[in-house]
Amino acid sequence: MGFFVDVLLSGVTQGMVFAAIALGLVLISRATGVINFGQGAMGMFTTFLAYSLLEQGIGYWPAFVAALAIGFVFGALVERTLMRPLLGTSPLNPVIVTIGLLVVLEGVAGSIWGNTARKFPAGFSQRGLVIGTTRVAFSPFDVFIVAAVLVLVTAIVVLFRWTDVGLRMRAAAFSPEVARLLGVRVSRLFILGWALACGAGSLAALLVAPLSSFSPYYMDLNLIYGFVAAVLGGLVSPLGALLGGLVTGLAISFAGGYIGSDVEPMAALVLLLIVLMARPQGLFGGTMARRV
Amino acid sequence: MLRIEGLSVRYGAVEALQDVSFEAADGVITTVLGANGAGKTTLLRTLSGLVRSREGTATFDGQQLIGKDPETIARMGIAHVPEGRGVIAELTVADNLRLGMLYRVPRPERRAAIDEIYGLFPPLEARRHQLAATLSGGERQMLVIGRAIVSRPRLLLLDEPSLGLAPIVTAQTMATIRELTSRQGIGTVLVEQNARSALSVAHWAIVLNLGRVVLADKPERLATDAHLRHHYLGF
Repeated sequence: MGFFVDVLLSGVTQGMVFAAIALGLVLISRATGVINFGQGAMGMFTTFLAYSLLEQGIGYWPAFVAALAIGFVFGALVERTLMRPLLGTSPLNPVIVTIGLLVVLEGVAGSIWGNTARKFPAGFSQRGLVIGTTRVAFSPFDVFIVAAVLVLVTAIVVLFRWTDVGLRMRAAAFSPEVARLLGVRVSRLFILGWALACGAGSLAALLVAPLSSFSPYYMDLNLIYGFVAAVLGGLVSPLGALLGGLVTGLAISFAGGYIGSDVEPMAALVLLLIVLMARPQGLFGGTMARRV
Repeated sequence: MLRIEGLSVRYGAVEALQDVSFEAADGVITTVLGANGAGKTTLLRTLSGLVRSREGTATFDGQQLIGKDPETIARMGIAHVPEGRGVIAELTVADNLRLGMLYRVPRPERRAAIDEIYGLFPPLEARRHQLAATLSGGERQMLVIGRAIVSRPRLLLLDEPSLGLAPIVTAQTMATIRELTSRQGIGTVLVEQNARSALSVAHWAIVLNLGRVVLADKPERLATDAHLRHHYLGF
């Protein structure tokens, strides 16, 4: 029983991280139809910048906030400089550029910080909480992970549903030409979409880094899990990303706990395969057909 | 007052508009008629900034429109209702209407403004929380026209509002447009293939043929002159 609970709790924690990655992918995919394969690497890069700030003696929380802000600005810059010139060209072009971004960022990070695995500190204790008399695999830092991602998802939902900016973003995503005819500056909202997405990606990278070691490549596998979560969620809504993340996290945790950690990536891909065959629009994608 | 002078637009080697000049006064409907490919839609898309012109000017109340982007032109109060696909199907009816108000209606006045549209088009109120995708063709037309009106436009550019509508709905739509145009004193440019219904509501008619203005006259004269009708309007 104790083992089952531990596996369950660690699945929830991981699922929250995947949800944040999925949210970043969904924000960009919905607005521009692009899957940002560079997102994990961008988060990795901002986490390394946070690491450098920590080494300079700056405290954990200032470094944490700075990394989020850098991720936000980084996203805006990538949209403005790399993505904007590709608007209106083949839809494959921006996807290839994001893959290029992944390769370049990992190479640059390796040459600056080296390829050895490091330990990134956590903002709270990583010792499991004691419930009754037993210690469970759920630490104060895990509580923080869950809370941070829930706050992020809630903020994005509120932004989209109840603010003018959110309405503009949805209009620009669904129907750019009509949105422009109504006065919406679509290009600025694409910048905001990328900024928010990469902010979410940086949060995910900062949260997951302390869970194991981190190196320039530590986000590769996480990005794949996040991608699985995003597709499961239907690639359209923040809530879908959250639920997709949870399902993916639990599946991986149970596969790893009961079969062996080697099968975790395979479990994610099998899950993806099953969902794509049975419900191509994603578990939570509603009935709207969607090109992926 | 919309004033167009010597407007020319070219798509590659094709002259879509050649030396087009006319005026559209406030408080009246100016209809632009012509066969498929005459340049009617291009004309509206040029006025709203979606298409770049090669030559000529278009001013609205003295302000140049040519060279401005569509967002700026929309915020000036020029509401372009594009042909057929103007609703954002993935948004609710209420959100579509809210979009029309973002830049031109102060927040405290929005509820009253949206209620006014519901009064004008009651089916929209009944469906206000539904996705626009679930609306019928006639209801979609109400929604795009309602969204244009709720923006408190100074100039309405309507592209084929009768397309795909039943005759009775077309008649209602046209009557609503005419009523609003004269009551609110806004200028309306109405592009139509359905010349008969357009001529019945318009105050002034322009006929385009292969990108050129071939006729500008009172609708009554066009409607009664069998030769003109036959030659340019095909009925």
